[in-house]
Amino acid sequence: MLTVPGSSHRFCDGVSRRNFLKIGALGMGGLALPQLLRAEAAAGIRGSHKAVIMIFLPGGPAHQDLFDLKTEAPSEIRGEFTPIATNVPGIQICEHMPRVARCMDKLAIVRSIVGATGGHDAIQCLTGRTNRNMPAGGWPSLGAVLSKLEGSVDPAMPPFVGLSPKMGHMPWADAGTPGFLGVAHAPFKPSGAGQADMVLNGISLDRLSDRRALLAGFDKFRCDVDASGLMAGIDSFDQQAFGVLTSSKLVEALDIEREDPAVRASYGKGDPHNRDDGGPKLMEHFLIARRLVEAGARCVTLAFGRWDHHGGNFPALRQDLPLLDQGLAALVQDLYNRGLDKDVSVVIWGEFGRSPKINKDGGRDHWPNVSCALLAGGGMRTGQLIGSTDRLGAEVKDRPVQFGEVFATLYHNLGIDVNKVTIPDLTGRPQYLVDAGYQPMRELV
Amino acid sequence: MRFPATLILMAISALLPTRTLRAGDAPSTQPAKQLTILSISGDNGTLAPLELVGRDAHWQIVVTGSFASGEERDLTRGVRYAARPAGVVQVSDSGMLTPVGDGEASVEATDADGRAASIAVRVKYFNNPQPINFANQIVPIFTKAGCNGGGCHGKLSGQNGFRLSLLGFEPTEDYEHLVRESRGRRLSPAAPEHSLLLLKATGMLPHGGGKRIDASSDDYKLLVRWITQGMPVGGANDPSVASIEVFPNHRTEPLGGEQQLSVVARYTDGTVQDVTRSAVYETGEREMASVDSGGRVTFYQQPGTVSVMVRYQGRIAVFQATLPLGASVGDLPAPRNFIDALAFKHLRITGMPPSAECDDATFVRRVTIDIAGRLPTVAEATELVRSNDPAKRDKLIDRLLDSGDYADYFANKWCALLRNHRTAANYQRGNYLFHDWIRDSLYANKPFDQFVREILTASGTVTDSPPTEWYRQVTAPTDEVEDVAQLFLGTRIQCAKCHHHPYEKWSQKDYYSLAAFFSQVARRPAESGELAVYVRRAAPGVVNAKTGQVVKPCGLGDTAPSNPSPDDDARADLADWIVSPDNRFFARALVNRYWKHFFGRALVEPEDDLRDTNPATNPELLDALAKHFVQSRFELKDLIRTICRSRTYQLSAVPNAYNATDKQNYSRYYPKRLTAEVLLDSVNALAGSKGGFGGLPAGTRAVQLPDNSFNVNSYFLTVFGRPESSSACECERSQDASLAQSLHLLNSQDVLSELSAADARPAALAADAARDDDQKIRELYLMAYSREPSADEAAFARRYLTRRKSDTAGAFRPVNKREAYEDVIWALINTKEFLFNH
Repeated sequence: MLTVPGSSHRFCDGVSRRNFLKIGALGMGGLALPQLLRAEAAAGIRGSHKAVIMIFLPGGPAHQDLFDLKTEAPSEIRGEFTPIATNVPGIQICEHMPRVARCMDKLAIVRSIVGATGGHDAIQCLTGRTNRNMPAGGWPSLGAVLSKLEGSVDPAMPPFVGLSPKMGHMPWADAGTPGFLGVAHAPFKPSGAGQADMVLNGISLDRLSDRRALLAGFDKFRCDVDASGLMAGIDSFDQQAFGVLTSSKLVEALDIEREDPAVRASYGKGDPHNRDDGGPKLMEHFLIARRLVEAGARCVTLAFGRWDHHGGNFPALRQDLPLLDQGLAALVQDLYNRGLDKDVSVVIWGEFGRSPKINKDGGRDHWPNVSCALLAGGGMRTGQLIGSTDRLGAEVKDRPVQFGEVFATLYHNLGIDVNKVTIPDLTGRPQYLVDAGYQPMRELV
Repeated sequence: MRFPATLILMAISALLPTRTLRAGDAPSTQPAKQLTILSISGDNGTLAPLELVGRDAHWQIVVTGSFASGEERDLTRGVRYAARPAGVVQVSDSGMLTPVGDGEASVEATDADGRAASIAVRVKYFNNPQPINFANQIVPIFTKAGCNGGGCHGKLSGQNGFRLSLLGFEPTEDYEHLVRESRGRRLSPAAPEHSLLLLKATGMLPHGGGKRIDASSDDYKLLVRWITQGMPVGGANDPSVASIEVFPNHRTEPLGGEQQLSVVARYTDGTVQDVTRSAVYETGEREMASVDSGGRVTFYQQPGTVSVMVRYQGRIAVFQATLPLGASVGDLPAPRNFIDALAFKHLRITGMPPSAECDDATFVRRVTIDIAGRLPTVAEATELVRSNDPAKRDKLIDRLLDSGDYADYFANKWCALLRNHRTAANYQRGNYLFHDWIRDSLYANKPFDQFVREILTASGTVTDSPPTEWYRQVTAPTDEVEDVAQLFLGTRIQCAKCHHHPYEKWSQKDYYSLAAFFSQVARRPAESGELAVYVRRAAPGVVNAKTGQVVKPCGLGDTAPSNPSPDDDARADLADWIVSPDNRFFARALVNRYWKHFFGRALVEPEDDLRDTNPATNPELLDALAKHFVQSRFELKDLIRTICRSRTYQLSAVPNAYNATDKQNYSRYYPKRLTAEVLLDSVNALAGSKGGFGGLPAGTRAVQLPDNSFNVNSYFLTVFGRPESSSACECERSQDASLAQSLHLLNSQDVLSELSAADARPAALAADAARDDDQKIRELYLMAYSREPSADEAAFARRYLTRRKSDTAGAFRPVNKREAYEDVIWALINTKEFLFNH
């Protein structure tokens, strides 16, 4: 071990070198996440914070085959599935989602999402906006807004994490752009462009430890020259980075091996391979999302599978729905079991719905006129249906709900008033977090 | 008819205990001097008799103590008030006069030592009130209560079906919405208290905005009377607000002290009324001061300059306070030029001693990065330190300005602002030509007015005229006017597209008049998918979206309308107006932008939002810089030379006992993180890597990149925030820190493999037997920091390079030299001393 000169020196964030090295030593196989969380709770650090988990279903699932079955419709529209009862009297969903049916009291179904532009991308599901009249730089996603407004819950955890891996159709892999807020508010992507930076690149832990000590010896610049806090920020991020490289909080949260086997089993086993040009069917992502928000993330996005079934809709759904069913039900149940149901909101949806008429290939085509969304947690009034469609599932019959209203609801759950809070865009114009006129949904809040 | 500004009443000495200020002390709010004068101010600091008209009138008086030292302190809340005779006005402890009956009276303020000051007051029309005027009396209530704010009913779409004009700029529309819309259900003259407006505003009925107005307040009573009177609009000839004034408008204030403001409105008929209660207040720097709804400002412990914006009925006024630290500044070095004279003057007023001058090593690194966008070479660094030439710093500045590196670096800056964006593959030729044109213009030191004129009036294809590329990105008159205003005038005119600018005098007419200059611009396809820009033969004009009327081109402010004929290019008139030496925006916007480039903080922040309500921290300095820039015929290199030669720029970043928290007085240099491009080039330079980008000659540096299209393949540039050239705002460049950045610089394959490459510097250093480790360490320090290592630092590095370590077999061996050098360079590039320009 190297002797570090200047023992009285303190880092810009007030942690002395000696402590720093101790932290480093602990990081290398020291405290596990639950211990860390317990230690923080004991130290008076708030155990809970508001967060959102956004689950995107790339390609747009068939609303009428999942949550809005049309048994009265003609056979070329009706589809092959039978509805089943749920634990909420009067609400029926697809037979291939029995687990979700058993926890329907913890979910709300919106059957009347409107306003989809028809674009094959995640922008509306991540920003609540369309790409019409975008300000320079583009709209920030919800996670980026939280990163900007509220920063990190914990300096060792990025506020915004995107789990979506690369996909054949990249617009579906969008984990949430920072838009005009700038790259500092981009999601931290453990599987994205920065993934390679998270594992040691050809150097040993031992050498990293030498380097770290060497850096500590060189980095003696007086940080009182900077009153802006940026130097302290860099020190804090450097520590986080060493934590990532030597295994600590963020890595712990990402490592489901450390989860209680029973809990892990409840999420089931998924498929890490991307479905065609869409996303993977990783049940683990549901679990990781929960672990991340528990560890301090404010927003976690993930994309599950691929739902753009222009052909063979029903066999594909028979294959994928049980997985979605298990992951979703496990996540919702887990949030309740851990007492996170008031603090963590969950939204599950795709970019649009699918056509009432089943085409010659047994598929359904794009249908931006209406689609479904599921909402859970966040202290919302769950166990209810919101809105309805006509007999064919083609148009909204009552209570059309815009994407922006769902976002207003999510912001409300986060304790953010969409009528008051603005963030300046690149021209300095204050921008509201949702488009004009959208309010939290009265049914839910 | 004005009285002298202060009235001397008594001059009894009241000796307060004196104390000396030490660093870190919270300075006293009381001047350690004798109070000699107590004065009372009514109408904007004067002693003119006050006239309170009608029972709704009020008047906020301000009591000021003047001390033998010349300092003034607000004593409004520190005196006792009495009004004689009784029955005319009441005075609250906070100095607010309220009428109680017609007549004349004298209001006297007395302090604890018996000093007194008085002012005459007359109340009229108390018993037979004048009819209420909607625009003058009712609309301000909505503004004050926040009803017509952008977050509530002032939104373009209104709130829950009820809409008011933003901040009450359109009283006629407000009257329509309030009285007539929704079948008149919002107001009930028969039972005024049961009007929906009042039930909602007082929270008696559920209201999304909560309770805004108290039912016992004067505002509430006024609203009730207005409804009772049948909602009068006011007479056609009723006066309207001509201007507002705030007293005091500038004052030196103690840290931790407070100041009561008084605001008066002057009406078109010459009458004056106090509107202190009704005006809206906002502080510029929230960490320096706060202001309550009654105009009482509380100052915190941060020295510097802070302003409070006052708004009333679309009129604005500004109170600016100087909060001195009060330390003794002592002898300052002789100013090198006018910058120092004014910056030092400000430091004296602020009582904040500047840091020492920076040493040569610091200066060479600082100025080379700021002008040329690169680290100095080892030769440059050692030469400056070794030279005894007294003019060596000036000569270095000149050498850098003459270099191509200067043109590269500033072309990089302007390319982003002028949106040299690779929209599609066939933009490449235009992007390259536009970048070359910008670089060549800067290299040749083309006067900035000519540079701007050539962009504004560009016509033809990108081959004929490279700046036409700007018109390819910015495609509508509204976009063009917004970019031009923000870039070259420092004005956020875009606010006035849909409504009156909330903090400025600009209306929609101003916005569309400026946009009209671009109305003749047309585009047609040219070869290979490119565009040709031409001017249509047409009378210039655009439709004002609010009135639907065609507006002719006209510059901002008191400018005569331009009357170009349909055969003329109206843009030439625009260029004439913009670059005219009389244009009060053009030079100020540019010097403020460049000041920020060098000092990290603009005199007006943000650098492209110059307005009366956002004053400079040192207005004299901003004016002097602008004047100098005009006089030098808009010469950019001269401006940079003047800035860099100043002692102010050459101050050390290391704080003294007083200025560690200083962020706006320029008492020291504020460190800046290297930009993405400069950082990447610097890492490459240290690693001995050539770098390079696909499709460009080997060795091309990141600051030389012509457009944004290289970001997508450089995670380094993306993660460190290189802009995408999609906006005219410098703020598109992100200089924030993030975890992804730390991980990338500490651990990315890109950086690590650069260091371990066979032709990289570590391998060369390990193989170089001609020099010892100490010489190599010295060279690395000079490269990274432009300074020699200290003895401790050199010894620490040497120990690392020469230590022994147990290998996997357990044997104790010397470390691998090449790997050890990789580690040393890796550590150097991750230090804050490297990451920052300081």
